[in-house]
Amino acid sequence: MVLLHIIVNGRGYDLQVGADPHQVDPAHTLAYTLRETLGLTGTKIGCNHGGCGACTVLMDGVPVLSCLTLTVECDGREIVTIEGLSPPEGNDLDPLQRAFMDHGAFQCGFCTPGIILTAKHLLDRNPSPDAETVEEALSGNHCRCISHYQVVQAVLAAAGTEADRDED
Amino acid sequence: MPLPKFEYLSPKSLEEALQLLADRGEGTHLLAGGTDLLVKMAHGHLKPRAVIALKQIDALGGIRFDPGKGLFIGATALLDEVASHPDVKAHFPSVAYAAQQTANVQIRNMGTLAGNLCNAAPSADNAPVLTAMGAEAVIAGPKGERRVALDRFFKGPGQTVIEPGEILTAVHVPVIPSGFGTSYQHVSPRGKVDIAAVCVGAMVGMDGATCKEARIVLGAVAPVPMRAEKTEALVRGKALTPEILEKAGRQASEEARPISDMRAGAEYRKRMTAVLTGRALKQAAEAAAN
Amino acid sequence: MEPFQMIGKDVPRNDARAKATGTAAYADDLKLPGMLHGRILRSPLAHARILHIDTSRAEALTGVRCVITGQDIPQVKYGNWRLFPDTQDEYALAVDKVRFIGDEVAAVAAVDKDTAQEALELIDVEYEELPGLFDVESAMAGDAVPIHDHCRNNTSVNRKIAYGDVEKGFAESDYVREDTFRVHAVSHAYLEPCSALAQLDLDGRITLWTSTQVPYIVQCLLASTLEMRENDVRVIKPYVGGGFGGKMELRTWEFCAAFMAKRTGRPVKFTLNREEEFLAGRRRHPMTIHSKVGFKKDGALVAKDLKITLDGGAYNAMGPTATFLCGNFGAMLYRYPNYAFYGRHVYTNKPPASAMRGFGAPQSLYASEIQMNMAAEALGIDPVDIRLKNAQKSGDKIPDVATISSCGFTESIQEVARMSDWKKKRASLGPGRGIGIGCYSFISGGVFNWFNTQYPFSAAEVRAFSDGTVHLLTMASDIGQGSDTALKQILAEELGLRMEDIRITSADTAMTPQADLGSWGSRVTLMAGNAVVDAARKIKERLFGALSARYNLNVIYEMECREGRVQPKGRPDRGMSFGEAVAMVQKASRGEPLVARGSYTPRDKGLVTPAFGFGAQVAEVEVDRQTGLVEVKKMWTAHDCGTVINPKGVEGQLAGSIQMGLGYALSEQFVMEEGRTLNTNFLDYKMPTALDMPPGEVVHVETYEPEGPMGAKECGEGLASPTAPAISDAVYHATGYRCKDLPITPEKILEGMNAGGKKKS
Repeated sequence: MVLLHIIVNGRGYDLQVGADPHQVDPAHTLAYTLRETLGLTGTKIGCNHGGCGACTVLMDGVPVLSCLTLTVECDGREIVTIEGLSPPEGNDLDPLQRAFMDHGAFQCGFCTPGIILTAKHLLDRNPSPDAETVEEALSGNHCRCISHYQVVQAVLAAAGTEADRDED
Repeated sequence: MPLPKFEYLSPKSLEEALQLLADRGEGTHLLAGGTDLLVKMAHGHLKPRAVIALKQIDALGGIRFDPGKGLFIGATALLDEVASHPDVKAHFPSVAYAAQQTANVQIRNMGTLAGNLCNAAPSADNAPVLTAMGAEAVIAGPKGERRVALDRFFKGPGQTVIEPGEILTAVHVPVIPSGFGTSYQHVSPRGKVDIAAVCVGAMVGMDGATCKEARIVLGAVAPVPMRAEKTEALVRGKALTPEILEKAGRQASEEARPISDMRAGAEYRKRMTAVLTGRALKQAAEAAAN
Repeated sequence: MEPFQMIGKDVPRNDARAKATGTAAYADDLKLPGMLHGRILRSPLAHARILHIDTSRAEALTGVRCVITGQDIPQVKYGNWRLFPDTQDEYALAVDKVRFIGDEVAAVAAVDKDTAQEALELIDVEYEELPGLFDVESAMAGDAVPIHDHCRNNTSVNRKIAYGDVEKGFAESDYVREDTFRVHAVSHAYLEPCSALAQLDLDGRITLWTSTQVPYIVQCLLASTLEMRENDVRVIKPYVGGGFGGKMELRTWEFCAAFMAKRTGRPVKFTLNREEEFLAGRRRHPMTIHSKVGFKKDGALVAKDLKITLDGGAYNAMGPTATFLCGNFGAMLYRYPNYAFYGRHVYTNKPPASAMRGFGAPQSLYASEIQMNMAAEALGIDPVDIRLKNAQKSGDKIPDVATISSCGFTESIQEVARMSDWKKKRASLGPGRGIGIGCYSFISGGVFNWFNTQYPFSAAEVRAFSDGTVHLLTMASDIGQGSDTALKQILAEELGLRMEDIRITSADTAMTPQADLGSWGSRVTLMAGNAVVDAARKIKERLFGALSARYNLNVIYEMECREGRVQPKGRPDRGMSFGEAVAMVQKASRGEPLVARGSYTPRDKGLVTPAFGFGAQVAEVEVDRQTGLVEVKKMWTAHDCGTVINPKGVEGQLAGSIQMGLGYALSEQFVMEEGRTLNTNFLDYKMPTALDMPPGEVVHVETYEPEGPMGAKECGEGLASPTAPAISDAVYHATGYRCKDLPITPEKILEGMNAGGKKKS
């Protein structure tokens, strides 16, 4: 029996590989496992072919597309989904989540989890990005409702570099 | 659509991987970053019987730079690793730039440079400049290792010289000789993050204002990334004046054999071949001077 | 007027926390015990007769619970124009013919998605292929095969508008020009693919959770196609990941989920994949627009004769409304003393076009705005000045439509010209740089009632509690645009409460008051907002009555609800808290809860819309004259949406409109070959990304719309129109290439420049 050990949002899961309903089939994508097996539906599937970024999660801190990642490839990896961004206890939110709320940085919200996680990695790497860096970082996350204006503002606000936004 | 079912194999060594590849035979596919393979599977274009994952093989990972031997990019080195590696940025700036221009953040965190080459899309961002620089594919097989220069590596869209049973283990990029410079240019008519409609890689050796050596590779204008040999001959021994650059562009455009598809028409691709060839030569010459 | 307390404030969205933390559940996030997964078999042919379908192999597959075809279902056609049954032309599953590649032929429900998918491949369909008609010209030809048997020349809807005398107008004109424009199809590309989950209850009733803009319309049409009573179908809208007009009809998977839940007794869920959305999904109508327009020398418009042919695809969908409206949009922005419109909606063997943000306006206005600039140039008048000369104003009456009660169009043009430094830039931008203008007007909801609802257009129920809270129930559908938040703001303003005092339940046809026609046509703020105000005022009357009795107040006192209190104006000492007032009303009626119903139906407002939004936009571009690549450097927008309820919400609508307009102008299109959509993924269907979005500046020209709640009107769709003509005009200014067939591609620009486009050096 092959076992996968995956840490999702700080909790370890030992998953069996196999073809039974409760097992992880090699053909299962990480997006599928998160949503259908672990019930973490905050990870969204907008296209399932790596084109929209809605399914973005952090793997060992780095944003990847969970729809193009096989779960069996995640053995020993640490995954963070939108549900795991804020500490489990209490009402604390990540500064990015708070900034997105304050800036109204979404409408339908379907792309939001992926965008927040991509932005999380950006700020981990570069705590004070300028607007163009944020736009470049988010260029793999489609948003049809508001596109990225308020999103970029929210990310800059979370970084404390909002004033750097150059309108010209 | 759910992915089709397959047998998943995750060898720990190259030898084991080669053995599995031989054992499983036809319908076995190699998985590095997965950003091309899984898309093909998701669309139902590919139904592998077995998938051999390469990520657990330590020998295939990493990027090594040796001032004498050049750069070795392992088969599982990610595009982001290539784009951000200090040695690549310092000594092979166009290689880093091409990797940086491939797709978007997430794809660069998952996809590999080797995979981009093995996928053999005519528009692959990383092929033209590496080919122009004389890079070679290091290929392991049952009969041992062989090396193939990238200008003989591609055989057609989606096809390379890699035989069944073989694995591309690394890409080797020779040191850029002194007095040489490189450039990667691409154009995407539908926005900044897009698959290139035309891309050009160039390496030139300069002696003052005179071009003594040039290698020009055109992407997305033929079934494979192609050397523009007549254009290379045209600029060799000449000063790269605006007039020569324009002539070179026209020549490259004549050599190009593009098709029309949903990204661009053939006529536009020909025109862009001219524009980008001129720009690539100019930038490469400037880099050579620095 | 007194300053507002809640209106115009950037209050956090009602759904902010749920969406920022990933707890907001969309249709595909829902799971029920024993749930089956559905998949749809689609036609591989563009036009064919179905001779035979054999489902036996699929049914025999382990795990398959139900397979249905058009022969298994009640043969009831549906469509949103219930008032005109002839226009209802669609079956949930094809009965006799398939009419486009992707047309729905059969459906499977199985224990998991893999099995359902596998079963699709085991259904054998025998077709007799018919000639495919892929453009309107061949579809209208005399010898064309009818795509629908009842429909001659494949023209399903005709519409005429005429006032004044256009021939006389042209005769009196100093300058007349005629142009033909072609605009293309684009995708809504909402991020959430369509999804629906149906459950049967023990009494045989259906509950459907579905990603829709129109729960009430889905309820009614689903009931009729299932041959059930309307109230035996309950439709609940969970969180919806965008719609933009693409989710405003009953759709096959909604029917199949419900029908198969009835058949199997188990919950059934269908979720489309992105390939299906692109291959077979609704899209914006391609149109061929022939426009003849006459001016006086001074730029005054005299007459316009507009002929538009809509490429409707295989079914009517919302095409009849688009046909109707694109004619109105042709003469909504400027004053045309003489106007004629002839619109035709034509069937072709392509995926049906339907409503998409702007509902005929982006197409119609692209043509009219570009033509306006061409005329301005010929007449030697600045594009801004010619617009100011002809702009609609408050009090103008559009013949057969309505009187415009509020109009900030002139101010919008002036503002956008000022912000962009128009005159200077138009005269002096360097090589490869250009600046251009586009304008719009739009409806604040439709007055037409082709759905034939028996209920008010919008309704609201307010329940007030003695703990100082209220509960708002409304069928208005928040699909991401933020209507739940805006309606709460309106209610909070009216009742003098805080946002946290209000709980909202929306868009559940069994719980929220009948009815609401849904979220489309920019109708929600005005119509549902008015219904909320109506209900709130009824609550207030009861509270004021109680207060009056308590303090024995003179009847002449004006009263107010303000900051959580109910009081006579200017006499806060004679007031009480909102909760106390509610308790008193309740006591006076012996425990009866304090509940009020409100509603809104536009009356005496013609047949088009109760109110109009306006605006103007200027784009500055830089064109690489070697590659033809266009970079939009900046967008300036000034618009009149009446009172701004929620500034961030309005800005969000604007930002999204610019993104869609940018894509419409420059990068988005369906690549079609013999009726097949070739670009069925996000790599090949190119939406602008964060990097493509230009910086922008915006001014809200505030007017007060007397028909709207607190003076508000539309802001969601009008802005979808000006971006493409503004960019197009800027590209012309930069290169001399005038685009009359969208999209503007680098190839066309280079070709146009070569063809002797006016060179700027």
